[in-house]
Amino acid sequence: MEYRSQKIAYWYFAIALLLFTLQVVLGLWLVYNYTFTVPQWIVDNFSFATARAMHTNLLVLWMLLGFMGGTYYIVPEETKSEIYSSKLAWFQLIVLVATGVVALVGFIFGWTQGRPLLEIPTSLDLIVVVGALAFLFNVGMTMYVAKQWTVIQGTLLGGLLFLALLYLFGIPFYKNEVIDWYYWWWVIHLWVEGAWELVTAAIFAFVLMKLTGVDRQVVEKWLYVEIGLFLFTGIVGTGHHYYWIGAPKYWLWFGGIFSALEPLPILLMLIDTMNHVKKRETKIVNPLTWTIAIGCAVMHMIGAGIWGFMHTLPQINYYTHGSQVTVSHGHLAFFGAYALLNIMVFYYAMPKIKGIEIYDASRGKVAFWTMSSAMMLMGLSFGIAGVVQSYIERVLGMGYMAAQSYMRLWMEVTFVIGFFFLAGVVIMVWDLLTLRPAKKAAA
Amino acid sequence: MSKKVAFWIFLVGTVSSAILFLGLTWDTHRQIEALSHVDKLSNNVVEGKRTFEKYNCNDCHTILGFGAYYAPDLTKVVQRIGADGIRFRIKDPEKALASSWRKMPNLKVSDAETDNLIAFFTWVGNIENGDWPPQDSKKRLSRSEERMVAGVGVSPGAAVFQSRGCMNCHALHGTGGTFGPALDAIGRKLSLEQIEHYIKNPKAVNPKAMMPPQTALSEKEIEEVAGFLANLK
Ligand code: HEC
Ligand code: HEC
Ligand code: HEM
Ligand code: HEM
Ligand SMILES: [Fe+2]
Repeated sequence: MEYRSQKIAYWYFAIALLLFTLQVVLGLWLVYNYTFTVPQWIVDNFSFATARAMHTNLLVLWMLLGFMGGTYYIVPEETKSEIYSSKLAWFQLIVLVATGVVALVGFIFGWTQGRPLLEIPTSLDLIVVVGALAFLFNVGMTMYVAKQWTVIQGTLLGGLLFLALLYLFGIPFYKNEVIDWYYWWWVIHLWVEGAWELVTAAIFAFVLMKLTGVDRQVVEKWLYVEIGLFLFTGIVGTGHHYYWIGAPKYWLWFGGIFSALEPLPILLMLIDTMNHVKKRETKIVNPLTWTIAIGCAVMHMIGAGIWGFMHTLPQINYYTHGSQVTVSHGHLAFFGAYALLNIMVFYYAMPKIKGIEIYDASRGKVAFWTMSSAMMLMGLSFGIAGVVQSYIERVLGMGYMAAQSYMRLWMEVTFVIGFFFLAGVVIMVWDLLTLRPAKKAAA
Repeated sequence: MSKKVAFWIFLVGTVSSAILFLGLTWDTHRQIEALSHVDKLSNNVVEGKRTFEKYNCNDCHTILGFGAYYAPDLTKVVQRIGADGIRFRIKDPEKALASSWRKMPNLKVSDAETDNLIAFFTWVGNIENGDWPPQDSKKRLSRSEERMVAGVGVSPGAAVFQSRGCMNCHALHGTGGTFGPALDAIGRKLSLEQIEHYIKNPKAVNPKAMMPPQTALSEKEIEEVAGFLANLK
């Protein structure tokens, strides 16, 4: 850590970690609902719907806090200056976390906008917008005052602006269900396959550059190509969600072709990472941070690139749309691309903020491998459940509940694996909050 | 490749895709009017959509394939179980799903709200959405369902079964309610006369019967539906 104001990032990370743990506990409750019969009185008071709203909103909240913390950590080093206003950074953290907590408690009492992933009620949405504006202003002013411009910074700021802008499309009430879903995807798809990819690419480039000592010009050149490909394929690629909503038929072509190309930039990022690692100029200080970086690039490719590609063509999507196949992809992609990215940043920045140069990685290693292998297995068991469901419900037409009984076994398997995943998360959170320097190696 | 070239790749890639996307969005808005039958988008439909959101139904059910995957897709629910079937499940989920291993909450939806929900589902069911979902597609029925639909054509009994509330409680080929047993092969167990008898007065056959006597059906309808069921073997 070189600048005092970078310290604020620590609190963003610590809160994100706690929310992540809570998210995973609720995830276990969700699969419990799939595998066992929950008594009517529980269903009447705390239903699957409520728990799911909490699971997914916690996900978005902790990841956004992670991104913001990451930004507050990176921007001072890129601009070579302190953050414009530390007070504003604190204010914004408190506002967002308070809004998040109110929203989560509100869900339990049925206060909701009732649209999946965008359940936060409109009045709270407006507070989120205030928090986001404070954040963007703070970051923008830091860059403006410092007059230091780098491509990494620009991509980061551009991605964050795009992210905030898209959120607005999720706020209004749409009378027409078709138009509602049309714009719902401007938020969801253009986030995860657009804005978030920009933020990720920028953060990843920064960390990689710092870790490997590879020349900035090289890193930034590839960054341009990556984000260019992400946006070229990802924007029109939104069409892969417009196949069956009552939009014109041409979306089958545009959506199918453009989204089939979406794995390319992800592949490029993977190759690029491998190359940098091979050509590194500095020696490895904290091997675990590296392992996580490479794990992130690989799992991003598997979850988003390969799993996404498998069901993106209309001929296949017709049968898998809205089944557990989607859930399998959603988990692997979110974990690979964004959970691991955040975890990489935590392991990169948190020791530095605490002034630890070389940290003891023994617990972190166990946590990383437990989480990653459990998530991979969970992706597979959700996936098998999804294929069984698609075949029985959609190909044979045997009805929804009939298919559910056939796939129940695989949801049970997921439930068991989920405990391992939770164990990994708990070890990681405990490790990150109590980081220690590594014991000096002999001599 | 230089950094400059890389920058141009970024700029041209992004701008071309954005322009194409905004153009298609404009055209899509134009076409959605007809594809979603905006002329039938009445106030009741809009209120139904609000109700659907108020109770967060979408975080258990999918609609048009989006949402949560915990409960049946509702895009074509009116075609599948009819307005009465929907009413029964929303009002009395404890009863309607008593023998199902997965439960739906009793959300205390008012009768007026339920009517609006049904208007909403009816409107959604008519959106021209490329014949999705496949399980409700009339074009892609499985062979067992084809037999059943073929039956509807020739036998008025199947129509009675679908339209007079039997499917609230009974399923055929996995479609319908779970309160009563599935009747896929009931003809193997009961004769036409036994079925007729059961429909008129279940308690006379089985003192513990939970099925209410189907007094709303005319004698002729009972004959027809019993004939249809007796042939399911
Ligand atoms: C906690 C989850 C949950 C919520 C919330 C929920 N449902 Fe359900 N619903 C279910 C389950 C589970 C079933 C199917 C159980 C079965 O068939 O065995 C079901 C079945 C139905 C069915 C019958 C579908 C069919 O094809 O058989 C309708 C209609 C329905 N729900 C409407 C609604 C409406 C309208 C709302 C909101 C007011 C709602 N549900 C909220 C879980 C839920
Ligand atoms: C309110 C729910 C309900 C409705 C509506 C209903 N049933 Fe039933 N039915 C049941 C239940 C529950 C049983 C299982 C035995 C019992 O408890 O009565 C049953 C049993 C039967 C049986 C005997 C099955 C066996 O294996 O012995 C037949 C035949 C039958 N129903 C036909 C019909 C027909 C035809 C209709 C429509 C006119 C209909 N039912 C409507 C709930 C219902
Ligand atoms: C990191 C990037 C990605 C993340 C986090 C992600 C996440 C998700 C999530 C959460 C959903 C489900 C949304 C819902 O309906 O509730 C989804 C759907 C989908 N994704 Fe991705 N995704 C990513 C990248 C991709 C890529 C690159 C492709 C294609 C090559 C793709 C293809 C799809 C498709 C086709 C669906 C729709 C599934 C359906 O019809 O139900 N995704 N994605
Ligand atoms: C023990 C671990 C976890 C379990 C058991 C679990 C389980 C579940 C279940 C059952 C659902 C509901 C799917 C449905 O609607 O039917 C769900 C939704 C979701 N979960 Fe998890 N989850 C876990 C961890 C995670 C993690 C770590 C992430 C992200 C990194 C995540 C992201 C999501 C997303 C994005 C959805 C919405 C999916 C969609 O709309 O397709 N979950 N989860
Ligand atoms: Fe997408």
